[in-house]
Formats: sequence, structure tokens, C-alpha cells
Amino acid sequence: MSTITDVYLKYQTRSIMKKNILIGVFALIILIVVSSCNKFLDVVPDNIATLDNAFTMRTQAEKYLFTCYSFMPHDGDLNSDPAILGGDEVWRLASFGGYFNIAKGLQNKVSPIGDNWTYLYEGIRDCNIFMENIDKVPDMDAVEKSRWIAEVKFLKAYYHFYLVRMYGPIPMMKVNIPIDASISDVKIYRDPVDSCFSYITKLIDEAMPGLPVIIEDPQQELGRTTQAIALTFKAQVLIYAASPLFNGNSDQAQLKDNKGTQLFNQTVSIAKWDSAAVACKKAIDMCQQIGLKLYYYNPSFQQYHLTDTIVTQLSIRNCLTVNWNSEIIWANRNSIISGQQNASMPYVDPLRSDNYGVRGDNSAPLKMAEMFYSQNGVPINEDKTWDYNNRYTLRTAGYDDRLYIRNGSTSAYLNFNREPRFYADLGFDGGIWYGQGQYNDKTDLTLFSLDCKHGQANNSSPDRGSVTGYFIKKWIHYQNIINVTVPSVTTINYFFPITRLSSLYLWYAEALNESQGPTQEVYDYINPIRTRAGLQSVESSWTNYSSNPSKFTTQFGLREIIHQERLIELAFEGQRFWDLRRWNEAAKVLNAPITGWDGRQILAADYYRPITYFNQKFGSKDYFWPIQDGNINTNRNLVQNLGW
Amino acid sequence: MKKEVHLCLFSLSKHIIIKLFRIMKLTLLLTVIAVMNLSAATYSQEKKLNVNFSSATLGKVFKAIEEQSDFNIFYKDNQINTNIEVNLNMKNATIKDILDKAFKNTNLSYTVIDKIIVITDNGMAKFKVTGTVFSAKTSETLIGVSIKEKGTTNATITNVNGAFTIQVSSPNAILEITYLGYERQEIPVNNTSDFTIKLVDKVTDLGEVVVVAFGTQKRTDLVGSVTSVKMSDLKIPSSNLTTALAGRVAGVIAYQRSGEPGKDNADFFIRGVTTFGYKTSPLILIDNMELTTQDLARLQPDDIESFSIMKDATSTALYGARGANGVILVTTKQGKKGKAQLSFRVENSLSMPTSNVQLADPVTYMKMANEALLTRNPLNPIFYSSERIANTGALGSNPYVYPANDWKKIMFKDNTSVQRTTVNLSGGGDVAKYFISGSFNKDNGIMNVDKRNNFNNNIDLKSYTLRSNITINVTKSTEVIVRLSGNFDDYQGPIDGGAAVYQDVMRTNPVLFPAYYPVDAQHQFVKHILFGNYDVGQYLNPYANMTKGYKDYSSSLMLAQLEAKQDLSFLTPGLSFRTMINTNRNSYFDVSRSYNPYYYALNGYDQLTNTYGISGINETTGTEYLGYGGSTPTLSSTLYMESMLNYSRVFNEKHSFSGLLVYMLRNQLSPNAVDLQQSLPFRNLGLSGRATYAYDSRYFAEFNFGYNGSERFYQTKRYGFFPSAGLAWSISNEKFFKPVKSVVSNLRLRATYGLIGNDAIGSASDRFFYLSNVNMNNPGRGATFGQFETGAFGLNGVSISRYSNTDITWETSTQKNLALEIGLFNKLNIQAEYYTQDRKNILMTRAGIPVTMGFEAPIRANVGAASGKGTDLSMDYSQYFNNGISVTFRGNFTYATSKYTAYEEPKYDEPYRSRIGNSIYQQYGYIAERLFIDDKEALNSPKQNFGVYGGGDIKYLDVNKDGQITTADMVPIGNPTLPEITYGFGFSASYKSFDCSAFFQGLANESFWIDPVATAPFVNYVYNGEVANGLYQNQVLKAYADSYWSEDNQNVNALWPRLSPTVNSNDAQPSTWFMRDGSFLRLKQVEIGFTLPKKLLVKLHTSNFRLYANATNLLTFSKFKLWDVEMGGNGLGYPIQKVFNIGLSVSFN
Repeated sequence: MSTITDVYLKYQTRSIMKKNILIGVFALIILIVVSSCNKFLDVVPDNIATLDNAFTMRTQAEKYLFTCYSFMPHDGDLNSDPAILGGDEVWRLASFGGYFNIAKGLQNKVSPIGDNWTYLYEGIRDCNIFMENIDKVPDMDAVEKSRWIAEVKFLKAYYHFYLVRMYGPIPMMKVNIPIDASISDVKIYRDPVDSCFSYITKLIDEAMPGLPVIIEDPQQELGRTTQAIALTFKAQVLIYAASPLFNGNSDQAQLKDNKGTQLFNQTVSIAKWDSAAVACKKAIDMCQQIGLKLYYYNPSFQQYHLTDTIVTQLSIRNCLTVNWNSEIIWANRNSIISGQQNASMPYVDPLRSDNYGVRGDNSAPLKMAEMFYSQNGVPINEDKTWDYNNRYTLRTAGYDDRLYIRNGSTSAYLNFNREPRFYADLGFDGGIWYGQGQYNDKTDLTLFSLDCKHGQANNSSPDRGSVTGYFIKKWIHYQNIINVTVPSVTTINYFFPITRLSSLYLWYAEALNESQGPTQEVYDYINPIRTRAGLQSVESSWTNYSSNPSKFTTQFGLREIIHQERLIELAFEGQRFWDLRRWNEAAKVLNAPITGWDGRQILAADYYRPITYFNQKFGSKDYFWPIQDGNINTNRNLVQNLGW
Repeated sequence: MKKEVHLCLFSLSKHIIIKLFRIMKLTLLLTVIAVMNLSAATYSQEKKLNVNFSSATLGKVFKAIEEQSDFNIFYKDNQINTNIEVNLNMKNATIKDILDKAFKNTNLSYTVIDKIIVITDNGMAKFKVTGTVFSAKTSETLIGVSIKEKGTTNATITNVNGAFTIQVSSPNAILEITYLGYERQEIPVNNTSDFTIKLVDKVTDLGEVVVVAFGTQKRTDLVGSVTSVKMSDLKIPSSNLTTALAGRVAGVIAYQRSGEPGKDNADFFIRGVTTFGYKTSPLILIDNMELTTQDLARLQPDDIESFSIMKDATSTALYGARGANGVILVTTKQGKKGKAQLSFRVENSLSMPTSNVQLADPVTYMKMANEALLTRNPLNPIFYSSERIANTGALGSNPYVYPANDWKKIMFKDNTSVQRTTVNLSGGGDVAKYFISGSFNKDNGIMNVDKRNNFNNNIDLKSYTLRSNITINVTKSTEVIVRLSGNFDDYQGPIDGGAAVYQDVMRTNPVLFPAYYPVDAQHQFVKHILFGNYDVGQYLNPYANMTKGYKDYSSSLMLAQLEAKQDLSFLTPGLSFRTMINTNRNSYFDVSRSYNPYYYALNGYDQLTNTYGISGINETTGTEYLGYGGSTPTLSSTLYMESMLNYSRVFNEKHSFSGLLVYMLRNQLSPNAVDLQQSLPFRNLGLSGRATYAYDSRYFAEFNFGYNGSERFYQTKRYGFFPSAGLAWSISNEKFFKPVKSVVSNLRLRATYGLIGNDAIGSASDRFFYLSNVNMNNPGRGATFGQFETGAFGLNGVSISRYSNTDITWETSTQKNLALEIGLFNKLNIQAEYYTQDRKNILMTRAGIPVTMGFEAPIRANVGAASGKGTDLSMDYSQYFNNGISVTFRGNFTYATSKYTAYEEPKYDEPYRSRIGNSIYQQYGYIAERLFIDDKEALNSPKQNFGVYGGGDIKYLDVNKDGQITTADMVPIGNPTLPEITYGFGFSASYKSFDCSAFFQGLANESFWIDPVATAPFVNYVYNGEVANGLYQNQVLKAYADSYWSEDNQNVNALWPRLSPTVNSNDAQPSTWFMRDGSFLRLKQVEIGFTLPKKLLVKLHTSNFRLYANATNLLTFSKFKLWDVEMGGNGLGYPIQKVFNIGLSVSFN
């Protein structure tokens, strides 16, 4: 009995001990659990990045400055700049989409093509955030800080302007609305166009003093805003404000918001042209002060002693494709034109026509080819010496044509006796293409020419090559090489110019003519451009060759001359799209059919017959983008543009 | 075994034996007696007694005998009726004579062993019956089946071989056979002494014990909505468990969209979807460890002990934040005490597509391609000359010059085979029990392999699993379980996967080039295949793309779990503690190897001599040797811990209480993060509890709660408390119900109500709503300045992908469940449940914030709400006939709908645009009236804003009559894309050694859309997120070729609109035109089986031997014919398979 009791007692004590240990363990677990509950869920370390980190030191704030710059729309890029494919300047195979759908009349309010509304308002918010916070940065000197503020103000102005150009009157986001604002506070109204333009110019004026006159460190800063850029931009804004689309445009009289505010002014103000002219002059003075001048091809070493013909063509071509040439006021450092070059390039060398890196997708409609002057510097339908009515008849090129059209080849009369800008800007069947490694223009057969008829190098596959028969040579740097290795193409890239000096000159000429009528000063700002293009002055060209010799002496006639000069000089640079709208002339021009040569044909007689590729339609609503339907649904205070 | 034995002792030497006998078991006693018997058998014959009783009780007689002699009489006093009256008058009689006479008219008998007389009730020992019990379904022997003589306490259980022996009172006795999870059976003995008994599965009432959250409950005590699935239902010939779910379980919506091995997981949802957050799938727990659908897919049905689906708030409450979309809880088998048992199963299947997409023939293709070009623009040059069309496919024309490829035939075999093997071993003793299993599946794809390559580009998916569950009894009250398992997939197959190969075939021009050219004299020395291509080789040659290389991938999941259970009844009876720690490691990587195919194109053909030449297109880029590539490996590691205190006790036999408190903690880490916030560990924390009370098996009450913390919310919003409660009433257990109980064997009502939370809101990549997510180094927001492209100065910019919001918190779901259970005649069981779910605080983007605010990321808040309701019905009927036939019918039906109840949206002018009141899976689109008759009609109709259109393009209805077709004309169209109805029904029957079963499954109230872009003829279609391998040109579906609008046949009701060489975006709008009914009914499974009879089994030394053949997806009934309707809009992918399978399952003891 005693042994049994002992065992039992032992068991009891052991189990009590075990019990105690267990209770202890539970208590411990519960303690750990309770005390670690919150810590366990605090997985986020303290130093996680927040917006405040962007303004704690200069190098971080600089990132934010660059962020503000990053919203710069990519001018010249056919996938981001509506002005390239959205009008009638560039044509492609019908299957292409994107901005080309605007040209095809497919703009809609459900999901507007090229809708920049969201994107640019994001950019504006970032600019405002920058300005709210830049004062917090401790390690910056005042000069640099004021420069950065000025740059961001400039960008904020530019983004607003870009939206006004697309959508017309828009809400100005002068300061950011806080994130916790009430729903009614965020439902803002569109500002009338005059308020838009005056706010934009006010921002530029505010920015001016802080901006540098020139970029001191071109290796690292070229492309950032300067005073010349700001002044030129201000001139552009005021030109737009004075132009018929925004200056007393009665077509837009009905555009009123739900408070009854009229969004377009209804009286034409000539004074707006005056202030535009003043701004242009100020910008021109600044450009001259910093040494900008029209570009001439003049290399320090010339191996081949080129003919004047080719030199003139290179002057015209290179003012777009040579980076930072002497007439570039503002090039978009965000928009580097590289792949778009081989996508637009023809098979210059027929032996390399198996290189599918070359596509030749972008072409110029026949109306662009007809827009260029005759060799006498007047419109082909005005030139007394140029047979306009027979422009589609065939003619064989002779020795004198050898630098324009391959000697002995047959082509349409349209391609003969044209101004240098025609040959510099366009490639076509039989046309000479200076480049692709053949730089000596002295002998007859050294320069390449294009073959574009059916089955030839530039027309071998239905999904490649120019639709209309005209290639856009202007976009292609003359030193690009189609390599033997497929699909390699060596391109010299360039930063797409937003404004060249010649554009500024023509704005000034336009503003002066609108405010004062024809004066010598007007001619003086057109003629240098014509000279560079190898043409005589306005006065002598019209007097000697035009069927309307006194055209340049009237305000109306001179307006036409300035408009056409501008369209020719800035062809394929994304200006025509906006200019036609600004002048309220788009409805006239963009309702014409898109035509081109008949690419299905083998024989010249069949090939050189214009056929219609598309019938473009342009209504009054098309002057402005529709505001996306969803944005109107979200904010009923936004009134939709007319016609949408 | 602890039966207490009361012995009556009538001897002088009582004291010594009392203790001994009290302790000893009766059997032991008998053994002792038997031994004694050998030495002293004579006393009983020599001793003479005198008795004289009239109307005396037996007790008196026994006492007299004991007094007169040295005999001791033993009997169980509760079994022997000592009050039986007897009349005895005997002199000098032996004990035998006396007892024979005394017991003459009773059931009593006696044994005399020396001086001890043991009296037993003879009723139990008249007839000996032996037998073996099998499962009717699987034909496996069943261990521990209870065999009872009806109306008595006489019972036994089957041994490890399923065998039993029982002495019954008479040859006419009735045996009652009962076993957990099986139908009770009564079998008349009828003079038979050897039985083979087959037990039929209980159908809905799947077992008397149901696995619920953190424990088990008796089915009859359940309050919440829990369905357990019989594993035999999930045994289908597939290496993917999820494909078996559809139509099997009431309350589960399931469908399968692809048949590609390794990517054929079914989608399944418990009671539909009532949230529009990112997580809609149920929580999957395997042995309490949260795992993925893929892990569930790879689980072997043979390894599964239980499979429960929890549907309402009460049953999921303990999982707190994780259980809002329902829970699937799977436990794996554990060893049972007994001899080692080895079972294996081998299966071999033949699989083939249920249906193939029919394509237009090559000549039609070319004619239509030309028409497409011309009908959209008469100026377009035609692509196929009439000479080419005439020669293609013509007799005697050169197939390499005029190729007419049936790419499907070139690329695919007609069928393929799949092998599956599983083995498991289980057993155990007092100290430890084990269950070890392994499986090996080999799924083969259906692609052809080019013999000229020395590698296999067909899909070869090998999956292995290994599992070991060991239970160790550390002390009498402590148990430790170790579970180790691994799933491993080794894949070799096409570089882009099987679906991509199918997709490639669907978008390759059949006539542009042959798959490859034969080696000609000019190329006799090349070592590579002369693959065909066109132009400059930019087209996709699907054959080259498939055979150019192969991909290996390897994925593994390794899981280790330690569980300890401690009985704490020494503290208070009924208390126990359990803790578990669990970790798993997941890994995946792939490597692909391929060469760059050499492409050749035709470069001349001389019709007269029928000779052609070919030339290389890509001589500089082709390779004859393999290169390799791979993607970033993915890895993850998870740690999970839970500790649980459990209490369960019955008081006064009528009041049963149970309580449970569980604390859990989960941590997951993965290296594949894209930003800092996503790299931080994923954590959950929770405390949950349950209390139940049942009174007299009639009234039940249950309360549950989950208290959870989520790292995703701001401190003040971090914890959520989610209570739920339920009541049940077993009406059939009431006294007043007794009279009808033979008809209505079960009648029960249940009701639950509760809240469940969900922190899986927004998107998985949105980790911390209370923090802003700022990318300080975004190259997409950077800028560069400087004179030259090189050497310029660039900086990345700053972008915001989330604005901080400290108010964001839990999405909560209020769930109600009402259930009715009815059992009739013990044969028919019906369960009907009705539920509602109300979700509120669903995270959504604020609709009222205009984009002029300039926010880079959406502003969100807990403002959405949705509700769901539906019905789960299940029914089963089983009948066992005396001739050995048993039949079971069963069916289930699930109806689940959802609707938005609060949704922030702009104030539309048109009320029909609002989502409120519509299903979460409701699609919006245009109402397609018909095709435009001609261009003129198109011009004169309301303007459609989607691109170029004209005659033969789809005409949409201008619903708001504003003269143009805009998004404002989009209306809710069709049924939701998530089916609202799922149902299944079937039967199983067995007779002697044979069994057969069939099962149908269907879906209804579902719409899907034929993709008008993916199926658009001739276009270059690139799937979302896909990297194109070349230029594609869609084939023409035969259905389209047979019915499309053309200028010659302006059929405004044609299937396909006017042809176009590119996508016509007008026709590609979401509309009723391409909407189809997704309903179908299919014969999901048929099976016949044969089990060897017992006699043969013994000879083969096996305990079970079953041979079976089955097939899945044999027949489908649907209005949609272009492809297998279950694939929905994904019809051009890897088809769903029809499988024929034979299998063998054998068990050894």
C-alpha cells in the first residue's frame, strides 16, 4: 500500500509542477501576444519615402524640377503630337490608328483621340506642388531657387497654353485644390479665353526675371528655359490670342457655361495684334542679342565643294535636323527624333531594299507638294511662267534637272521647276536624295534617286512605303545610313525644335501686317527666310512672276503671302495643324480630298495620275477637342465644346 | 473496453477473489476458468444434491446450491434474470441434472468448471455469423464498423480486415450495421452464416462528424452552414482536384476555362461574389494552413481525410478577416492504429479536346482576304492572284509553292495520354501512428514533336507529391503531430506554353508559306530545318515557334507543420490546449532553350518543270545552336502559428457546452517586390472564439467572434471585431414529433447572423492605405538636358501612386443564413439554405473628383456596397434492396446573385447607366440591332463614334435618342459573366462486385462574349500583355466564312459583319452582337467499377482490388457550337479535355 501511495503522490506533485509550467507557458504566450500585437502589425519602417522627402535637400528638389519638365508633350513625335498625323500634312496607310484617326474624322467625345486633359492637369498639379514646397529646401541659394521657380512657372504657363490650344477655354489651376476639399469645391468652371491668355502671359512675365539669358552650362542644361524662350513663348501666346480663332470668334458665341458666362470674346480687337507684334519684336531682339540667326549650311571643312543647289537644300534641311543650330530658339529636349526617321525614310539605296528597318510609312499628300512655290518663289497657280494646268503631264528630266530629278527619268511636270524647299523637303519617284553616304554631287550618277512605282524598291510591299508617292525628306538627317545588316539603320538623332527663329520672324510679320498693314518692316522679316530658301524677295518675286503682281501691297494679299510662306517654311514641323485652326481657315483647307500618285502602277503614264485616297471632313466643331464625356459627367460645371 | 463487470459472488472465499474479479475482465476470467477446468473436472459429476422448490426464484435455487456444496455460481447480474420462477423436486441429482431442469424453459445455459458454475444468457450464443464489410463505392474493407443484433446490446465491430464474428440469438436475428458516413443497414440473418456486406455512403449527411473551423462538430449539432464533400466525389481522372468541384457541392460556383496541363485550375467561388475588391476567391486551408488554389489543385484525393466548405458568417467567423468569401478547409489523413496497410492506385487516361474550333479552308481564306481589302477600299491592291487561288489545294499543284496548311494537323496530335499513380502506407501502434503517401502524375500535351530536333517540345508535366503525417502519443494526455509534405511540378513544354501554341495556330495565315521546305539540292548541306516564311521573315511560323525550343519549369511547395495537443482535464474536465506552428516555402523558376529558326521564302517557280527555288531570309540572325533564357524566379515563405484553448463538456447528459479561444498569427515574405512597400512582410493577427450550447439534442445556440488586426490600415482603424451567432432547432428530436418520426426522420431548422471582415481590398499591390506611395526615382517622370544625347544630364522624377488616407478600413459583410433540413424515411435527405450577404465599406474610387485636380492616383474611400443572395439546395436518396442492389441518387443546385447597392458614379442623365441594382458581373454594352444594309443606311443613321463604318457593320441602338451612339447608349446586357446557377445531379449503383455511376453538371444564367478582335479575320492580334513573336494574321473561323455580310450578299443578320483587313473598331465594341449564352449541361463523369470478391481477395493477399473505367466531359448540351462553351470568351486557347481513363486500386494488409 505504501508504495502505491508514494507513486501516486509523486505523480500528483509532478503533475502539479507540470501544471505550473504549463500555466507559466500560457501566461508567457499571452504576455508576448498582448505586448507584441501592435508591433507585429507595424511592418512599415519609419523612413519610407513621402512627398516631403522631395524637398529636404537640393538634389531631391532638382528631381522634382525635372518632374515638372517631364510633362513636356513630345512635339514632332507622331505618337504624341497631334499636329503631325492629325491634319492633312502627313498621310499614311489607312490601317494606321492613333492620332491619324483625327485626320480620318474619327474624333469623338467618348474617348477623345489625343486627350491630353488628364496628363497636363497632372503636370500642372506637380508644378503647383513644386511651388508650394520649394521654399522648404534648406541648401539652395536664392538665385538658383528663383531660377527654378521661374522655370516651373514657365512650364505651368506652357501646359495651360497647350490645353487652351486644344480645348479652347479651360479651367486655370492657379493653385492646387487641397486633397480634402469638398466635392463642390472641386467642381470648377472653364475660364473665358481672355482670362486664360492673360493668366498665361502673367505667369510668363513673372517667370522672366528669374530666367537666365543664356545657358551657361550647355553640356548639362541645354534645353532648359531661358529668357529668349520665355519671350518667344509669350509672343506665341499673344499671336494666338490675337488670331481669329480666339479674337472675336462669332462661331463660338454660343459657348456659355451654366452660369451664363460667355467663354469666347465676341469683338475683334486689333489691339491684340499690336501687343502680339510688340512681344514678337521683344523676343526677336533678345534672340539677336544672344546671337541667334538664320541657319546656313557652312561647314568648316568641305570635302566635295558642293554645288549651290545642294548647299541651299542642306541649309533648308538642316535647320530642322541639326541640333542646336543657330536659329533654334527652343528645342524639345524630351522629344528625340530617332526611330521616326527610319520609319519615314525611303529605300534610298536600291541595293539595300531588303532592310526592313526602313519603312517609309509617312508620306505627304499631293496638296503639300502643290503648296510649295515655283522656282520663282510664287505659288504655282500664280506663276506666269509655270504651266499650272498641265502640272500632271509627263516630262523627261534633262541635265539641268540632274540635282533635282534623275537625268533622263520621266516624271510629272509638278516635280519640275520648283523652289529649293520642295526638293529639300520631299522625296519622290525619280527625285534626287542627297545622302546615304553619297555626298559628292559633281558627277551625274553618284547621287541616289528614288524608285517608287509598283514593284520597285519603294513600292514592293503593300504595307510599306509612301502611300502618295511623296516622302518627307525634311525629317531625315542627311547623314543617316541604311546599313547592310538587317534591320540596322544609322540615324543622327535630333531634338525636335518647338520654335525656330524663322517662325518668330513670320509671327512678327503676320502681327505687323494685321495691325498696320503692309510695310517695309513686314517684308524685311519675310525676305531673309526666302533668301535662305534660295528665292528672291517678296517684292521682286511677285512683281516679276506673279499673275497678281501687286498682291503684296494689300493687307489681304500680304496675309495670304505670309500664311503660305509660313506653311511652306514650317511644313512638316507640326505648325500647319495649329496655324490653319488659329487662322480659322481649317474648314476651307481640310475639306479637300487627300490625293497622291497611283502606287499600283508600273508605267509612268499610269503612275502620274492623281487618285483620291481619302475625303477629309472638317466641321466647325473640329477646331477644338471635345472634352471627354466622362469628365463632363464628373463635373457638370464644365460645358462641352460646341458641336460635340 | 472499460466496461464494468458486476459479479455476484456466493462463496466463502469471496474476499480474496472480489478484488481480483473486480479488476479482471470477463474474458480473462473465462480463460483462467478454462485452465482450472482441466485439473478438476470430476467434482461436478460426483457431488449429489437434493433440491425441493416450488415457485422459487432462480436466485433462491442458486443460493441453495451454493449452501449445499462447494460450487460457486457466477453470472452478470444485470443480464441474468434471477427472478424467473422454477419448480424443482430432485434428490441425489448431479448439478448438471438440476441446472438442466431449472433452465429448461429459459434462454440460460451454464458451464461447470470444477467448482465454479458460470451462467450465461443463451440468447446470445445460438448462432454464429461471420462476414466482411466493404464500402459499396470504393470496395475497400471498412474497419471499425459496428455490427449489432437488433433489439439487443449484443454487438461487435469489424477488425482491420473488415471482418467480424458475432453470436446471435437465433438464425432469424437481424443485424444492424452502422458506420460513420455510411447508411445504416439492417440485414436479416436468414440462416446465412457468412456475409459480404456493402455499405452505401451517406450522401448529403456526409458523416456524423463534420470538420468545422478549428475542430469538429456532430452534423446533428451544426448551426452554421458547412458542407462536407465526400472524397469519392472528387476522384475524377484529372491531375487537378479543382476541376472536380463544379456541380458537386451546393453553394459552390465553379467553372473551368482552359484544359492546358498545369494551367487548368477551375475558378470557384463560394456563394458567388459580393465584392468588387480584388479578392473574390475563398480562403483555402489545408491542415489549417492558408494555401493557394494551385496547392489545392495538386492535392491527392486519396490523401484527404475531410473536405469542408464553410459558407456563412457563423462557420467562417473564426477566420475573421480572411473568411469573407467563404472557406475551404481540407485535412489530410492520419494514421490509424493497426497493421500496416499499403494501398496504391494507378490510372492511365487518354485525353482529347472536347471540341475543336473549325476553320475556313485555305481557298475560302484567300478569297475572303481579297474581299476584305477591296470591300473597305476599292483602291487596295489584292493580295492573292486568281492563279494562286486556283492552284492552292488543287490536285497536282506543288504544295510548297501553293501551300494550304492545316496548321492544327501539323501542330497537334489527336489525343494524348496521362498517367497517375498514388501509393500510401498507414498504420500505427500505441506510441505512434503514421500515414505516408506519395503520388506521381504525368500529363502530356497534345503537340507534335519534330523528329529532327533532339528535344521534346511537347508538354510533359510531371507532378510529384510526398506526404508524411506522424502522430506521436508523448504521454497519455499529450499528442504531437508532425506533418511534412511537398508538391513538386517538373514541366517541359513549349516556350510560351500550350495555350499560346493554340493561339498561334488561330492567327497564322494558312497559305502564305509551308511549315518547312524539304531539303533541296541547293541546301543539302545545311544542318537546320528549312522553316517557311514570307517577305522578310516577319511573319510568325507557328511550327517553327513551337519546335524551336522548349521550356523547363520547376515549382515546389514544401510544408512543415508541428502540432501539439495537450489534454488539460486535470485542470478541469473537458479542457484541452493545442498549438501549431507551420511554415511553407514556395519556389518557381523556369529556363528556356531555343534556337533562332532559319526562315526560307520561295524565290521563283517554273510551272512547266514544277521546280521552285528557295532562299534564306534571315541568314544572319538564324542559329543552329540553342540559346537560353529564363524569367525571374519567384519565391515566398510563410510562417503561421496558432494556439487554441478548447473546452467541451456535457452536464447532466442534457446540457452540452463547448468553448474555444484561438490566437493566430501569420507572416509572409516574398522577394519579388516591385517597390519598398510591397517588399514588407504581409501580416495578419487574430483572436477568435466560439461558444456553443446544446440542450437535449433539441436546441442549439452558437456564438462566434473574430477579432482581427490588419497591417494595411492606420492604427486607429487597424482592428476589427466581427461577431456572429446562430440558433438551431431539431424539431424531429422533440417528444411530440415521435409519432411521425418513422416518416419524417429528420426535421431541423437553423439560422445564423453575423459580420465578417475583409482586408483584401483595393488591389494586392496596395499595401498600406494610410501611407502615400511615392516613387522618388521614376524614370518615366524624369528629364534630360544637355547639348548631346550622350553625356547629358538626366534625373529621374517623382511620382505618386497612392495618396495617403488614414480613414480607409475594413470591408464588412453582414451575412444571414436560414436552413431547413428534412429527412424522409431515412432515405431521402433534403437540405435547403437561403442566404443574404450585405457588403459595405467596399473600397472604390471616388467618382466625383474631376481630373482637373491633377491627381496621379485615384482617390479612394470605403463607399461602395453590394449585396448578394441565393439558395443552396441539396438532395439525396438512397435505397438498398435485399437482392444486393444499392442505388443512390443525388443532386444539388446553387443560385447566387449579387448587386451593387452603393456605387459612386457620375450623375448620369440616363438612369440605365447606373450600376446600382445590377450584378457585379453585369456587362455593359451597346444593343446591336443588326448590320447596316448598305453605306447609305449607315450615313442616315445616328452617328456611331467608334471609327470607320458603313454597310455591313453593326448598327447600334441609339438608346437615349440623342442622334449619336456614345457611351451614354451602353446598357446592361445579358446575364452576368459569373454564372448565377450551378447544378449537378447523378446516381451511383452497385450490385455484388459491380458498381457504376454517372454525374451531370451544368451552369446557367451566364453570358460571355466572343472576342470580336481575337477572332477578327486577317488582323494581327496580340493578346494583352503578350510579347509578339512575329506578325500574326488571324485565321477565318468556319462559322464566319459561312455567314458574313458581303456586298453580294447583304445579309443584315450574318454572324460576322463586313470583312476588313484590320480591326474595325466599330464592330469591336462590347455589344449584344457577340454576346452568347454560357449555359450548358454536361455529362461530367461516368464510371463503372469491378471489385474482386472476397474469396479471390484472400488468394491474392489483398484486402481490396478494384478495377474501374471512367470518362469525363463525354457529352455537352449547349446552344453554342464554336468551341467548348465552358471556355467562355477564351475559346481560342487550349481546349478543355475529354478524358477516358482506366484505373486500378489495390490495398494490402
